[in-house]
Amino acid sequence: MDITNVLFLFWILPISLAVYYLAGERVRPYVLVAINLLFYACGAFSYFWLFVISTLDTVGLGRSIAAVKGRVGKKALLFFGVTYNLCLLAFYKYAGTFLSRLGIAPDLAVSLRGIALPLGISFFTFKAISYLVDIYYQRAELATRPVQDVLYLSFFAQVISGPLTRYSEMSQSALSDSHKANWDLFSEGVYRFIIGFNKKMLLANVLTNIVNETFTADFSDFSVAYAWLGAICYSLQLFFDFSGYSDMAIGLSQMFGYRCGENFRYPYTTDSVARFWRKWHISLGAWFRDYVYIPLGGSRVSGRVYLNLLAVWLLTGVWHGASLNFIAWGLGYFILIAFERRTGLPGCLKSWVGKTVYRILVLLFINFQWVLFRSQGLKHGLRYLRRMIYCAPNPFADQRALFLLKDNLAFIVVGLILCMPVVPWIGKKLEGHKTAHAVYEAAVAVISLVLFVWAVSFVVSGMNNPFAYGNF
Amino acid sequence: MKHLRIKQALAWVFLLGLTVFFVRSAPLSSLVQLSDWLRQDRENAVGIDVLEQSYADKLWKKEAFLNLNGAAAKLLKMRGYYSDLGMYITDNDYIVTATRETTTDYEVDQTIALERFCRENGINFCYVNQPIKYLDDSSLNRFGIMTYANKNADLFLQRISNAGVPTLDLRQSIIDEGLNIYDMFYRTDHHWTTQTGLWASGKIAERLNQSCGYNIDLTLYDSTNYTVTEWENCWLGEQGQKVGETYVGRDDFALIKPNFPTSYTFKTSEGIEEGTFDNFLNESVYDPLPDGQPNRNSWYYSYLRKNAVNHNVDYGKVLLIGDSYAHLTVPFLSLGIAELDSLILRDVGSDFQLTELILSGGYDTVLVCYAQNMIGSHDSPQSANYAMYSFIQ
Repeated sequence: MDITNVLFLFWILPISLAVYYLAGERVRPYVLVAINLLFYACGAFSYFWLFVISTLDTVGLGRSIAAVKGRVGKKALLFFGVTYNLCLLAFYKYAGTFLSRLGIAPDLAVSLRGIALPLGISFFTFKAISYLVDIYYQRAELATRPVQDVLYLSFFAQVISGPLTRYSEMSQSALSDSHKANWDLFSEGVYRFIIGFNKKMLLANVLTNIVNETFTADFSDFSVAYAWLGAICYSLQLFFDFSGYSDMAIGLSQMFGYRCGENFRYPYTTDSVARFWRKWHISLGAWFRDYVYIPLGGSRVSGRVYLNLLAVWLLTGVWHGASLNFIAWGLGYFILIAFERRTGLPGCLKSWVGKTVYRILVLLFINFQWVLFRSQGLKHGLRYLRRMIYCAPNPFADQRALFLLKDNLAFIVVGLILCMPVVPWIGKKLEGHKTAHAVYEAAVAVISLVLFVWAVSFVVSGMNNPFAYGNF
Repeated sequence: MKHLRIKQALAWVFLLGLTVFFVRSAPLSSLVQLSDWLRQDRENAVGIDVLEQSYADKLWKKEAFLNLNGAAAKLLKMRGYYSDLGMYITDNDYIVTATRETTTDYEVDQTIALERFCRENGINFCYVNQPIKYLDDSSLNRFGIMTYANKNADLFLQRISNAGVPTLDLRQSIIDEGLNIYDMFYRTDHHWTTQTGLWASGKIAERLNQSCGYNIDLTLYDSTNYTVTEWENCWLGEQGQKVGETYVGRDDFALIKPNFPTSYTFKTSEGIEEGTFDNFLNESVYDPLPDGQPNRNSWYYSYLRKNAVNHNVDYGKVLLIGDSYAHLTVPFLSLGIAELDSLILRDVGSDFQLTELILSGGYDTVLVCYAQNMIGSHDSPQSANYAMYSFIQ
């Protein structure tokens, strides 16, 4: 089940909203859990019971951690809970790949690799670990009713690809006695949902066609322009796809009365590699910071800071997948972030030119990194990168690259503009002018709505692609 | 956007939209379908995509959405907007598709084997190559894509000709007569037009006269012997329905019926049926819908492919192994042959024996009439046309 699908949009969503808001306040969490289960059953029918059992087990363990008095008992339960969830992730996501790489039990490896990944298992595991750890360290106040815990782990809007919200953010509904405040929250949610839907359907989906083609094309046909077109389009596609999903998830959370943290803050405006990760997939970066980097000592232990960084980035790579390209991708970020830390870049740069040059280099590096990330393996990724630089005897540009560029130019240009904070910048500039600002706001709303109708037409026309982060 | 009133207005419109679409898009039947789906056996579970597609098909204003999408593509002057569906739009608004390169080995072996079998049993054989919308593969170069539809056909025809298989390449007839290939096909459908179907039937009849001992009156295929009823901008082909009529516009359609008397016995799955050429037609397709809009069914398929005995002709029993192009060639070709049966191999079961049918049917001639993009379909087991060249098991 995809949240961009018409079945979800025009059938499941209206029914869910109607039943949820018609239900009494005390019943609402149960209604929402039922919606979550229906959504998961539709999305991953064969893993439905695995999802139910692992959710209930995790909640049972979390509640037990809170209930047990002794520290040893709490620790044992935490250890068991984290291990239990990591084992599920390891079995479904990594076992097949590792067995086949090590050449052990080839038949079992093949059958394990053939098993489809349970929907959103990577995100579920991280939320489960965060839930157990936060309860153990009493970072979050336990909700009075366990149904809130079930709801946190299974919330349909976040189950596929996050954001990785914390239990403390979702253990309480943000709905209050004030109808106005609730309606304001709902309206914010609708707006975010529409923005996210538009990003995904109108930009990410169109660019996906170019990306899918270039990243599966035979290298013998490659030109430098073709390789660059695919790489740039992937950087844009991934941003609009994932930030679009995050906007929709945040919007749906708000529509059901829950608040959810931001996951993207115009990451391509970054001036350094380290800052990029404070703007891109913010909830994942924060998760690794809070549950890996800081427990390892963070930057407090000066001799170990680079080791800690290495651990974080290796794990970030492995979390995305067991193949070597993800590990190389994680290592790449480790090297550059460690380099920036060591040299003090870009803070040590004083001139405008130096800062601009460094910013361009950062964006180029991020683009190269996305090529590795999208590739079908490390070898494929490296060959692709080579083609971006040197393509002889193939021409610099070929007819296919020119056609794709010309045919999709409007989408690429709009994508390049909108991945920068142009719209908020205009709004900010007009803030002092009451009428102009009102016109700007109305224009944004009307344009968003019109684009939403167009975006729905993409789904109806069968031009819908799965979310890029749906496979993690 | 700090002024929440605008966002609230947006939320009201959104909720109203959801409600209207929910109410108008068969909510109850969707509920039944969803509950059935959820109760299905886990081991043999059908994916949710089946349900999603079913819902999308009955979505209220589906056509309007398709048209909106197509209109946007047209506005943006995009020619590869639907490239992920394998479709490109030429400058004259024809929907074209590319064909992969193939060795032609399987098709050549099977065709030669079938021709040998026919020859050994004293049965005439001819392979008829039916064109697609372009005669020159380089016409798709402007999209930066390679297509091998004509190169594959050239290679295949050359190889089977060298092996002594009689062939008729309709592309050559088009070139010889100086016809415009685009005029011979629908813009929004992959099939040839009714006029082309009649023309091609004449060419096949001519070939039967030349090589198979037939003496068909070729004036039967002269367009002056037909009544033509034309509709303008009346239907959207299978390809056009995927991209919306605003993108490429509707196609014209010509209903062509002989203006001389005809008399047939049709052999259908329901039994024997006596009639005339009109029985080859399902004219209800041309009736407008209650809202006055043209019927959305495929007008191409208003011509029916039926096994027929022609009482006005006393010679010839032909088996035509064909594809959907045969919906036109069978009715028109049958006008000059005493008995014409047809068969589409993708529609028969895996235990079907073509050789048994040929022998038991007592045919004097076997024609294989395939659109040239069928060549290579055996390369992919997932292809719907995978078995089209599986003549000899």
